[in-house]
Amino acid sequence: MAVTATHIWYYFICKREVWLLSRGIAADQEDENLDLGRFIDRNTYQKNKKEIVAGNIKVDRVRKEGEEVVVGEVKKSSRFKESSRYQLLFYLDSLRQMGIEARGELLFPQEKKREKVEWTEEKKKELDKVVEDIRKIAKKPVPPAPKKINFCKKCAYREYCWAEG
Amino acid sequence: MKKTLYIFQKGRLRRKDNSLLFEGEETGKKFIPVEDTNDLYLFGEVDISKSSMEFLSQKEICVHYFNQYYGYYMGTFYPREHLNSGHVILKQAEHYIDYEKRVDLARQIIFGSISQMTQVLNYYKNRIVSGADEITAVIDDFKKQLENLDQAKEIEELMAEEGHAREKYYSLFDYIIQNKDFPFEKRTKRPPLNRLNALISFGNSLCYTIVLSETYKTYLDPRIGFLHSTNFRRFSLNLDVAEIFKPIIVDRLIFSLLNRKQLNKKHFDKHTNAILLSEEGRKIFIRELDERLKQTKKHRGLGRNVSNRRLIRLELYKIQKHLLEEKEYKPYKAQW
Ligand code: SF4
Repeated sequence: MAVTATHIWYYFICKREVWLLSRGIAADQEDENLDLGRFIDRNTYQKNKKEIVAGNIKVDRVRKEGEEVVVGEVKKSSRFKESSRYQLLFYLDSLRQMGIEARGELLFPQEKKREKVEWTEEKKKELDKVVEDIRKIAKKPVPPAPKKINFCKKCAYREYCWAEG
Repeated sequence: MKKTLYIFQKGRLRRKDNSLLFEGEETGKKFIPVEDTNDLYLFGEVDISKSSMEFLSQKEICVHYFNQYYGYYMGTFYPREHLNSGHVILKQAEHYIDYEKRVDLARQIIFGSISQMTQVLNYYKNRIVSGADEITAVIDDFKKQLENLDQAKEIEELMAEEGHAREKYYSLFDYIIQNKDFPFEKRTKRPPLNRLNALISFGNSLCYTIVLSETYKTYLDPRIGFLHSTNFRRFSLNLDVAEIFKPIIVDRLIFSLLNRKQLNKKHFDKHTNAILLSEEGRKIFIRELDERLKQTKKHRGLGRNVSNRRLIRLELYKIQKHLLEEKEYKPYKAQW
């Protein structure tokens, strides 16, 4: 299975969601939160969004500082920092495999914050572990049971997960 | 939530640029808000162009056809599946082919069906003028039947259990309705031979289409049912799931329509060999049904209000979870 940035994102939030995504079980398409997400995507960031697509990765901004390539990822909030970091690391690693050395920057415009993310041998090992674990989750015959977390409230799978009762 | 649209008049449906236009004989031109439409019911004689079908399919809208004069359900235009997961379909097929797995699911459905009939009877037991003892006796019978369901090892046995339960259940309708214009007599389907049967048939066919529309929003294949066998020529999963919702959605609606005198003799037409709801009657029935489906109740699992219609979707999700072997299916049980 090809592990994508979306899997990485959800890995740090909910492993069950990783499994569902890996089986092509998409979330409720009429979900109002999903709609809100789409709306924000289409409107708020449209103006300054310059997406770059390379292979199966998609990054928000790329600029050159001297010899260095800097990849910028714009995020709505720093709530899912862990997800954001590894996602960006995943991008940097993919670029490396294409022969491009880059460093990364997470941007949280609404909070006026930015954070550096760098590719190192050590980080790469951690990333590999995450990717390996995602593959393991996807191979499980049965999805991990739902666990009520804060994210459930906004998760488009919530009706599916909590349909009992 | 998106709306269900009902068209009763004669007219033409065609695509106009990026929307659908209905040209009705009575009301003239009207645009159909496709983005806001969940499904479409055509009762009137509606000419529908191929390009509008394409558009409806693109917008993922199911179209249910009913005969204009008799109100019989004719079929559904079920757009090409838009949600698709190989994994779910394989699991669904596996649960059909593996007979034991199939019987297990069928048993749960029958369990749900009889439990829901019990709920309806419980509700009316204390509200009726006479017949409380008869109702209590049937409730007791149902309890025993539910306990014995585990012993059924064949689909046919389960079907028979359901048949017996339904017979006892119908025999109590006269106590609940207490209206000499609407005696139950006996169950007659094709064609219904009295008014009450006409109501039950009409209501049930609507219930099948509602479940079908909801199935479209899931990964389940409506052609693979468990209680109702699959022959791939018609939908059957919706017949299964409807068993659980017919008592609380259709039967209770019928009782309330008759007891509140919203429907009476005048709303029925006599045809050569059938008695059927008139167009006016169908309109009343659907208006009230739609209201009922929109009503919300607190859902314990989700911790918020969900509509009756949504409950049907949740039931399908539960079945999907059973198929994925993550959680054993336990049918919905109304709490009142
Ligand atoms: S609802 Fe909760 S448990 Fe279910 S996928 Fe979403 S986050 Fe995970």
